[in-house]
Amino acid sequence: MQQIEKAGKKNVTRIFSFLKPLVFSFRYISAKKWFFVVLMIAAVISTVARLLVPVYIGSSVSGIESGNLSLAETFALLIIYASIISGVTRFGVNYIAQYLAQTYAYNLTGDLFSHILRKKFSFYESQTSGDLLSRGTMDVRASMNFIVSTMSQLIPTMLLILVSIYFLFSINPAYSLSFILAVPVLIYLGIVFQRKQRSHWRNIRANYGRMNEELQENIVGQRVVRGFTAEDEEIGKFTGTTQEYYSEYMKVARLRGFYNNLMPFVISAAATSVLLYGGYTTLIARGDVGPLVSVINIFTMMSFPVGFMGRLIVFSENARASIDRISVVLDSRDIEDPVAGEGSPTGFELTMNDVTFHREKRLVLDGVNLSVRRGEVLGIGGKTAAGKSTLVNLIPRFYDPDSGSIKIDGTDIRNFPLRELRRKVALVPQEINVLSGSFLDNIAFGNGEVDRDRAKWAADIAQISGFIESLPESYDSMIGERGITLSGGQKQRVGVARAVYEKPEILILDDATASVDPKTELDMLRAIKNDLKDLSILLVTHRESALKFCDRVLMVENGKLVRKETEEADVHEDPAVFREGGVNIAGDV
Amino acid sequence: MPETYEELEEDLMKSTKGSRVFRRLMGDILSQRRDTAILVTAVMITAVAGTLYPLALGDAINGIVDGNVNLLVLFAASFLGLYLLSFFSNRLRTISSTKLAQRSIKNIRDSAFRTLQNVPVSFYGKIKMGYLISRISNDAESLSDFLTFQLPQVVAGVSTVILSISIMIYLDLGLSLYALIIVPVMMAFTFGIQGKVRRNYLRTRKTIAAVTGSMAENIGAIRAIKSFNVEDRTYQKFDRLNRDNFTANMKAAFVSSFYGASITVIESVGIAIVIVAGAMQLISGAITVGLLVAFIIYVQEFFDPVLQLSQLYNSYQSAAVGLVRIYGIIDSELEKNGAGTSLPVTDWNTLEFKDVGFSYGKSRALERVNLRIERGDKIAIVGHTGAGKTTLSNLVLRFYSPGEGKVTVDGRDLTGIEMKSWRRLVAPVLQDPFLFRGSVMENIRFSRPAVTEDEIEHLATQYGMKEIFESLPEGIQTQVGEMGRNLSEGQRQAISVMRAFIRDSPIMVLDEPTSQIDPYSERIIMDALRIYLKDKTLILITHRFSMVSLADRIIVVDMGQIVDSGNFDELMSRKGVFSELYNLQHGSFADS
Repeated sequence: MQQIEKAGKKNVTRIFSFLKPLVFSFRYISAKKWFFVVLMIAAVISTVARLLVPVYIGSSVSGIESGNLSLAETFALLIIYASIISGVTRFGVNYIAQYLAQTYAYNLTGDLFSHILRKKFSFYESQTSGDLLSRGTMDVRASMNFIVSTMSQLIPTMLLILVSIYFLFSINPAYSLSFILAVPVLIYLGIVFQRKQRSHWRNIRANYGRMNEELQENIVGQRVVRGFTAEDEEIGKFTGTTQEYYSEYMKVARLRGFYNNLMPFVISAAATSVLLYGGYTTLIARGDVGPLVSVINIFTMMSFPVGFMGRLIVFSENARASIDRISVVLDSRDIEDPVAGEGSPTGFELTMNDVTFHREKRLVLDGVNLSVRRGEVLGIGGKTAAGKSTLVNLIPRFYDPDSGSIKIDGTDIRNFPLRELRRKVALVPQEINVLSGSFLDNIAFGNGEVDRDRAKWAADIAQISGFIESLPESYDSMIGERGITLSGGQKQRVGVARAVYEKPEILILDDATASVDPKTELDMLRAIKNDLKDLSILLVTHRESALKFCDRVLMVENGKLVRKETEEADVHEDPAVFREGGVNIAGDV
Repeated sequence: MPETYEELEEDLMKSTKGSRVFRRLMGDILSQRRDTAILVTAVMITAVAGTLYPLALGDAINGIVDGNVNLLVLFAASFLGLYLLSFFSNRLRTISSTKLAQRSIKNIRDSAFRTLQNVPVSFYGKIKMGYLISRISNDAESLSDFLTFQLPQVVAGVSTVILSISIMIYLDLGLSLYALIIVPVMMAFTFGIQGKVRRNYLRTRKTIAAVTGSMAENIGAIRAIKSFNVEDRTYQKFDRLNRDNFTANMKAAFVSSFYGASITVIESVGIAIVIVAGAMQLISGAITVGLLVAFIIYVQEFFDPVLQLSQLYNSYQSAAVGLVRIYGIIDSELEKNGAGTSLPVTDWNTLEFKDVGFSYGKSRALERVNLRIERGDKIAIVGHTGAGKTTLSNLVLRFYSPGEGKVTVDGRDLTGIEMKSWRRLVAPVLQDPFLFRGSVMENIRFSRPAVTEDEIEHLATQYGMKEIFESLPEGIQTQVGEMGRNLSEGQRQAISVMRAFIRDSPIMVLDEPTSQIDPYSERIIMDALRIYLKDKTLILITHRFSMVSLADRIIVVDMGQIVDSGNFDELMSRKGVFSELYNLQHGSFADS
């Protein structure tokens, strides 16, 4: 019994499941619910007025049949009036539908973008940037298309069906019967169609994603492809993907060809039965043919919107898949709050206490202890993938440790607002994104005011001012998409200038000068030290020359921080180390 | 080539570019003869069935009026029969139009991809990846709506209209003229409003392009945005573009809604005219009731195709813009790779640079470089960043060709040698150790798919690299994430080196291969290289001196010129650029 109930429920939910995107959309357009009310009223008026046209056509035919010309003229005028009303309200329906859909798209895009901006760093590792972009654009559009079609097609069609039943019933109850029988058949066909094509749409999307990935890889890695003359293999792979995409599309097309055209045919079959039955009874009764003309006209009016229903189901499928993908981004997990907390780190002393960190179940940091004093330059070396980058990424809280604590001046950094923490702790990664804009925009990137002198000062330190000033437009030269293309080393120097511009208290250079030659790198480090005396620097690098510049060097090994094994002499020569009484590994906090 | 949307739009509106690409597309489609024939047949059958059914209905009505049951049944049956026919023809139409559309899209994508594999490397310096991807994926997709739905529907609609008018005129010329009075009005209205529709539509395309562009850039720069706390400012900037897009879309919606509503009214005026005119003729006995009913339906049938036509334009425009851009990519000038025209090389002995000069755009990279490399040589090229080292390797790999002078292989100009055959002789380890999605194993096998996994494991052991791969979470079968981001620089470098080993080419070009690797992994890789390079030729580009020991000859490059060469001791004793570089890394820096 319960099972039957359950199954029944399941069927009901299945019928309405294609409306799911609408439910999702409510939160973005709920503020405009009065528009929706107006839309519904306009749609009802429009539908009634529209259905009056075939009724009047029938009536005028009756008039003509009985030789009453003035009656025909009256109905002709009524047809025009009804159409004007239907036209004006139809305009309202379409325009409001667009308004609601565009409002939805605007709000959803904004919401998505703000979620993307507020996500934790770990989120970006689980998503490719191409994927995120297509969620923000294609998927929003797909779900919006469904809203437009629902509002401007589905609702009017539903109303059309309902009002038709009423009209048919009032003309002749028997006429409405065939139509009422047709409705469940239409719904059944709709459900079967929807269910059958679902998996194919999923495959289409997956193939589309794969195609984008392959494109991206082949563009970024084109030198590798060419260097190993793998062009033909890659072309083969790509055409394989597009072939799969194509064949999935064809499967949908075959389904659509059948169901989408069967639905209007059902309407026609119902119309034929009315024509036969109604014609026969009229014929026997020698009655008026007008009502029958009305009824046939009503059916004719129906076949196009019903045919469109099939497309609507396709839209709904697309919209649902899109919303699933969008929801991943909108999920409130992984959101950072930049303003929670209080105070601001002063950055005099940074300590790490027994910090552990896992990445995908792999233990990367295993009880790390560290202390960095004000104005100190600490070098961090270690094997590839030893966890150097992970270690420094914990300081501006790009990631949080699994256990242990990181403190600045004795306050756990989790107590500071992220915004304050990141203002004081600048991390320059190896890969620098320049944004389209001028050098000035890119250097004075943070929230502070755009100060040309300060940007020049920062560029001087980063050893990039010479290059910038050699350009005709100097700091106003455009870089990025429609400007100058920078080399890796130049980008890195812009990255350093950008960080220095903010005058942070702790500067982390995470292999940030790997593409800059050692001499320039040293000049840069010296300039930073010179101009920002109190700044603490954490320098992650493999370069011997850069490590030598440091007051102290620690190595990350097996998830722990240890003193650098070789060239101990260098370390001991350093007065800073002597002051502290040897290399501080454990951090005596 | 990547014109801005504005430029392209203006171009399209002024010139015949739009219709030209469209013709080219149609040419592609029509070349699929069988499916085109099926589609055209299906469309025609649909049109005929659509035109005949009002007639069947009219005759059925006449049967009722005349009290003839047989006529009623006959024509009611043909009424249904015509619908059944159009069910089958529509089904065929749906399938064949999708087939044509999707196959054209596939062909366009495939040729664009093929072009990307064959353009000169410099192409990628000029065009952004995002641009290319969105052309090939999005723009091609925008053809789908146009080709699958709009175009066949319009062809069907236009055929229906033409057939309907013919039948109407055949049935009753007088009433036809009344029925057609409305057509010029409708046409004038449609053409009058088109300009506005078009402008609005183009504006929406521009605003959505701005939204997408901004989103793409900001997603790319998300780490910088968060590091510098500029989320709010970024959001505000984005919101402005998003709002512009909203406004532009609402303007477009106004015009198109207005158009749709007006067509409804015009349609009803047409029906009213037919009724009044028909009534007079009916009363005078010139026509039957059935004919009048048929005429009323014909007039209604005019309008659906007309409404479709207005949608066609939007769809056509977006397809045309997409096409212009994709064809732009497909038609990019290909690299002269010498396939088919020039002879391949199978082996080599001497590689020579003769007075080679090279510029990237305006910036000069190499100046009169002369260099001779014999089989078995192991040379290192050192110098400051930007000195031109990588440019030399780019010329060896033929990613670029020299601007002046020439690079020769055994006296033959490299540009006259079939490119792929030359590249097969050279195994590169590039500055950026790019990895593909897939396992580490697949990435290594990339350079020679014929090698088995066992052989690779064996070689990794032989070269002492096994340890590095075993340190990965799932060993050599570990999956590489997007752009290898889940691996460290050093691991990526190691894979990239192993990939070159598998290639087993006589020449190896190593461009800064260990700049990111820790000393421990470097030692492993160095040992591996020593084994591998025994009977190979090496061209090493580096500014790390630990690697220089692999070479027997060092070339010092400065400001695009070779300024010195010799072995380590010779160069050190000369106190030139080389010793300066060396001291930077190994000498004391404090007093330099």
